[in-house]
Amino acid sequence: MSTYIVRRLLLMIPTLLGITVMVFAISRIAPGDPVSLSMGPGGQMDAERAADVREARMRLYGLDKPVHVQYGIWLRRVAQLDFGDSIKHHRPVIELIKERLPITLTLNIIAFVIIYAVSLPLGVLTAVRHRRFFDRASSVVLFMLWSLPVMWVGQMLIGYFCGPAFKQWFPPAGLNSNYADQLPFFPWLVDRLWHLVLPVLCLTYAGFAYLTKLVRAGMLDNLRSDYVRTARAKGLSNWAVIFKHAFRNSIIPVITIMATLLPAMLGGSVIIERIFSIPGMGWLAFEAVTTRDYNVVMAVATIGGVLNLLGLLFGDIAYAIVDPRISFESAV
Amino acid sequence: MSKYAQNKTSWGTSYGELVWQEFSKSWLSKICLSFIVFLFTLAIFAPFLANDKPFVIRIDGQLHFPIFRNLQPNDYCIFLAAIAGCLQLLLIKRNRRRIDPSIRAAVLWRQICINSSIVLIGIILLLIFVPRRLDARDYKALVASDKATDAVFAPIPYGYGRTNLKLREQPPNRQHWLGTDDVGTDVLCRLIHGSRISLSVGFVAVGISTIIGVMVGAVLGYFGGKVDFVGMRIVEIMMAIPAFFLIITIVAFFPRSLLNIMIIIGITSWTVDARFIRAEFFKLRKQDFVQAAVSLGLPLRSILFRHMLPNGIAPVLVNATFGIAGAIFIEAALSFLGFGVAPPTPSWGQMLSLGVSTTGRFLWWLSIFPGLAIFLTVLAYNLVGEALRDAIDPKLRIQ
Repeated sequence: MSTYIVRRLLLMIPTLLGITVMVFAISRIAPGDPVSLSMGPGGQMDAERAADVREARMRLYGLDKPVHVQYGIWLRRVAQLDFGDSIKHHRPVIELIKERLPITLTLNIIAFVIIYAVSLPLGVLTAVRHRRFFDRASSVVLFMLWSLPVMWVGQMLIGYFCGPAFKQWFPPAGLNSNYADQLPFFPWLVDRLWHLVLPVLCLTYAGFAYLTKLVRAGMLDNLRSDYVRTARAKGLSNWAVIFKHAFRNSIIPVITIMATLLPAMLGGSVIIERIFSIPGMGWLAFEAVTTRDYNVVMAVATIGGVLNLLGLLFGDIAYAIVDPRISFESAV
Repeated sequence: MSKYAQNKTSWGTSYGELVWQEFSKSWLSKICLSFIVFLFTLAIFAPFLANDKPFVIRIDGQLHFPIFRNLQPNDYCIFLAAIAGCLQLLLIKRNRRRIDPSIRAAVLWRQICINSSIVLIGIILLLIFVPRRLDARDYKALVASDKATDAVFAPIPYGYGRTNLKLREQPPNRQHWLGTDDVGTDVLCRLIHGSRISLSVGFVAVGISTIIGVMVGAVLGYFGGKVDFVGMRIVEIMMAIPAFFLIITIVAFFPRSLLNIMIIIGITSWTVDARFIRAEFFKLRKQDFVQAAVSLGLPLRSILFRHMLPNGIAPVLVNATFGIAGAIFIEAALSFLGFGVAPPTPSWGQMLSLGVSTTGRFLWWLSIFPGLAIFLTVLAYNLVGEALRDAIDPKLRIQ
C-alpha cells in the first residue's frame, strides 16, 4: 500500500509541473501586462517619463527577463513555499490566501454536508420506489435544479429576498453586517449564518441531482443482486435488507466521490462569490485574473491543482479501503 | 410503394434507427427536441423576426427592401449552414430507402464530409466577398413624417443595436413586450438575436472538444504503452486544473471575441471524451475484426476511424449533448462576469448581468427573461442527452 502511495505521489510531481508550466505560459504569452494595466493610458505624465516608470516597475516585478528565466525564478521560490507578493495588494500571496481560504472552505463544507444529508436518503428512497411516481417526479425536479444557471438563481434570490422588490429577508452581500466585530460571539454567529443562507443555497441545489443519481444507481444494482434476494428469502425485514445489506454496499462510490468533489467545489464558486460579494478564493481568483496579478494567478492554479490531485489520490485510497475486492497491486 | 415495403422488411433496422425508436418513445424528449428546433428557427430567422428596418417600404414612389439589403455576411453564413443541415436531414431520410444498410454508415460519413466542406468553403467565400452593410436610416421616422408609405415592418420592429435613452429601463408594456434594457433597446429583440450566440457557442465548442478528444483518445487507446502513459499525464494535467478557473484566465488574458470563447471552451473540455474513447479502444484493440483489419494491411487512419470508432462513438455523442448544455452555460457565465462578447452584440448572460442596475435597482424583466432562456435551453439539451443515454443503453432495452 505504501509503495502505491509513494508511486502516486511521485507521479504527481510531473503533473504539477505541467500545470504550472501551462498556466505560466498562458499568462505570459497573452498580450498585455499588469504594469501597463495599472498605469492606464498615461495620464499627465510625458511619454519619456512614463516609459521610465514603466521600465522601473517591470524590473521591480522581474518581468523584464525572458519568460523561461522568470519561470525558473518562480519555481525556485515556490519550492521554498514562497508564492511572492501580490502586485495589486502589495502583500504576500500566502497571506491573502490564508485570509480567503477559510471563508470558501466554510461555505463549501456547509454546502457539502447539506448535499449529502439530502441526497443519501433521497437516493435510497427513489431506488426503493423505482419507476413509481415519487421516483419519476423527484428525478425530474432534481434534473431541473441541476440545469438552473447559478447566476440566474443568485440574482433572483437577491432581487426578491434582499431588496424592496418583494421581501427584505436576507442581507444582499458580504459575510457580516457592519460593525459585527463588536457583537458577542453568539449573535455574531447568527449574523454570519444569516449571511450564508443564500450563498449556501446556490452552492447546494445543483449537487443534489448528481449524488442522488449515484446513490440510486448503486442501490438499484444491489437490490437486484442475489445476496439481497437471499436476505429477503431469509425473512429479514424490508428495513434490514435495504439499510444493512444494500445500502452499505452501494455507499462505496459515494464515499470515494467525496474526496474528488471538494476541490472541484473550491474552484467552482467564482460566480457565487461574485454575486454575493463574498471575499473568498473565487473572488480572489477573479480579481487576480482581471488585474493580471501573475503571482496570485499562479498560486491559485498551483494550490487548486495540488488539492485536486490529492483529492483524486484520497479517492482511490478510500476506494480500496472500503471495498476489499480492490487491491493496490492491480490498481495502478 | 410495394418495392419500398419489401425493402423495409428485408433490410431490418440499423443501430441508428433502433436508438431513434427508443429515443422517440418518450414524449418529454420529443418536446425537448422540438424546443431546440424552435430555438434554431428563431436564431436562423432572427433578422426577419426582430429588426428596426421594414421588409418593404415605398419612398418617393419607389419600392425598397431594407431588411434584405441589410443582411450581413454572418446572416448569409447562417442561412448557408441551415440549408446544408436541412439537406443532410433529407439525405439521411433518402439513404434509409435507397442505400443498403451495410454501406449506409460509410455513405453517410462521406455525405457529411462533402457537405461540411462545402459549407466551410462557402462561409469563407461569403466572409471575404460579401460586404458589411451599414444602413443608419431611421425608417420609422420616415413613415411617421409621411415621407414614406406602404411600410411592412418585422413582427418586433426594433433593432438590437439601436439605443434610445428616453426609453431606458422600462418594464414590459404594449410597445416593448419584455421591456427595455439600460440603453433603451428592446429586450425581446435582444433575446431573439442572443439565441444565435448561445446556440453557435454550444455547437462549435463541442465540435472542437469532441474532435480533439476523439483523436487523442483513439491514439492513446490504440497504441497504449509509453504513448498512453505520456498522453494520460497530459490529460491529467488538464483535469487537475479547476476548469472554470482556467477558462476565465484564458478569456481574461486574450482578446475578447466569440471565436476565442468557442475555442477556449473547446480546448478545455476534451478530456472526458478522450478518456471514453481510450477505454473503448483498449477493449476493441484485441477483438477479431480489428486484428483482421490490421492483418489486411489497412492504413492506420482506416483502422482507427473506419473500423474502431463507429463502435465507440455512441457514448461520445451522448456526452456531446451534455457538452452543448455545459458550453451554453459557460458562455452565459462568462458574459455575466463581463468576459463575453462585447456589446452591442446581444448575449443572454450579458443581458442577465444588467438585471441589477448600476444604481442597485432590481430590474425583474432583465433577470427573468434572459435567465429563463438560458435555463430552458440548457434543460432541453440536458434532457435530450439523458434520453439519448437511455436509448443507447442495451441493458434498458432488454427490459
